[in-house]
Amino acid sequence: MRPRETLLIVAREVREAIRNRWFLLSAASFLGLSLGLSLLGLAGSMRSGFAGFDRTTASLLNVMLLFVPLMTLSLGGLGVAGELEDGSLATLLSQPVTRAEVYTGKFLGLLAAVWASILLGFGVTGIVVGLFAGGGNVGAFVGLVTLVMLLALATLAIGTLLSVLLRTRARVVGAAFAVWLFLVYASDLGTIGLVVARNLAPQQVFFLAVLNPIEDARLLGTLALSGRLDVLGPVGLFGLDRFGPTGLRVLLSAALGATTLVSFLWGYRVFRRTPVS
Amino acid sequence: MIRMTGVTMRLDGRTILDHVTLDVAPGEAVALVGPNGSGKTSILRALLGLMPFSGYAAIDGHDVVREPVAARTVVGYLPQKPAFGDVLAIEAILFAARLRKVPRRRAEEALREAGIEDEAAQRRTKTFSGGMLQRLSLAVALLADPKVLLLDEPTASLDRAGQLAFLDIVTALRQREKTVLLASHRSEEIAVLCDRVIAVEAGHVAEPEREAQPAPALAQVIPIDARRAYR
Repeated sequence: MRPRETLLIVAREVREAIRNRWFLLSAASFLGLSLGLSLLGLAGSMRSGFAGFDRTTASLLNVMLLFVPLMTLSLGGLGVAGELEDGSLATLLSQPVTRAEVYTGKFLGLLAAVWASILLGFGVTGIVVGLFAGGGNVGAFVGLVTLVMLLALATLAIGTLLSVLLRTRARVVGAAFAVWLFLVYASDLGTIGLVVARNLAPQQVFFLAVLNPIEDARLLGTLALSGRLDVLGPVGLFGLDRFGPTGLRVLLSAALGATTLVSFLWGYRVFRRTPVS
Repeated sequence: MIRMTGVTMRLDGRTILDHVTLDVAPGEAVALVGPNGSGKTSILRALLGLMPFSGYAAIDGHDVVREPVAARTVVGYLPQKPAFGDVLAIEAILFAARLRKVPRRRAEEALREAGIEDEAAQRRTKTFSGGMLQRLSLAVALLADPKVLLLDEPTASLDRAGQLAFLDIVTALRQREKTVLLASHRSEEIAVLCDRVIAVEAGHVAEPEREAQPAPALAQVIPIDARRAYR
């Protein structure tokens, strides 16, 4: 794979993201959500103004776990399928580039745009909260931004895989929503069902949870915020007892990385043989 | 220059091409003719590596599966329905120029040669008519002065004047010994451009290759009035 050609495709994706306005829209959404939650963070204490980094980070974690996968699954899903359907992928692949360069370039281009929108949205919030609310754990806020970027990486890879597997916009959008529902809600319900039906031990439930990238991010975020996982019950406690805080962080980060790698390589394997017309 | 040996393509359980074998010599212009769905476009897509197939296909000695970059470097492709996404025309051609390491000046020149003026070059391709897209696609195809042209119903979206301009350009390229493989229904452009015809039917090369009819002069095919109107 040649870096120059891959970078040209990355730059093309970023340009299109900016032109299509989803980049600005998502940056504005990140900014709106994070600033809004920071403002609402003090509502419970009957005060007004921006909450500090601690409250803002805690409020943001759960919202981001819902919002980011929904956005990246759809964006990744439309990446290849959109160009396949409108015919522009054939134009691109008739140029002297390999499919590996096209697949990687499109993925990295989308990722760069998503990450830039996250950094822009949260960056402005960080500055505003720093200026108006001051105190709190800035490290946890930075950790949350990093976590959101990691989650975006993993779910974008899953979205891109859906894109090459399903190949039309309509199917991909439906599937992206179904996968999001599964990862956010159904996998929890399924695990609970399995626990009831099969009497699963905490370690089995823990390893099932680790397979879900959103759960990995939730555990990592909770760990970063409180250093404890007892709020997550026996499963969280098992993970912490078994691996310790550092080991658990490494394991969960590795699980997110593995999700990304497996989805990306599987997607490329399919794309290599995808008919393009 | 172009060689296909035993190329078979299957899609969703259907055989699109069945053991297709053909050769096109350097400098030769060959037309693929046949009814809709016979496999003409699929032959071109196989040569570009756009569709998976079994068998062997090569351009300028480069296996299109194993050496896709080398094979496509010498090819200019004009699809039946060109698409560039939501970009400006100038961006579309500059992107291709960067991939092919062609200077910006040449890209701008190619646009002008294809009849796309400066104002149109700054427009989004989504606002282009079929004919304008075809012109942009022609500019992209000719950008790097390729040895081989793969043309898929190239004049389908063009008006009469556009067809004439296209025939003029390709006739000039033929005089420079470019190799052309053309999928077309239009007997007039086949007669003007091609040395030989290959009939394709239901995924097979259906008939032995035969000579194209003697080419009439361009003026006989396109009335002189139309040529004047274009200029």
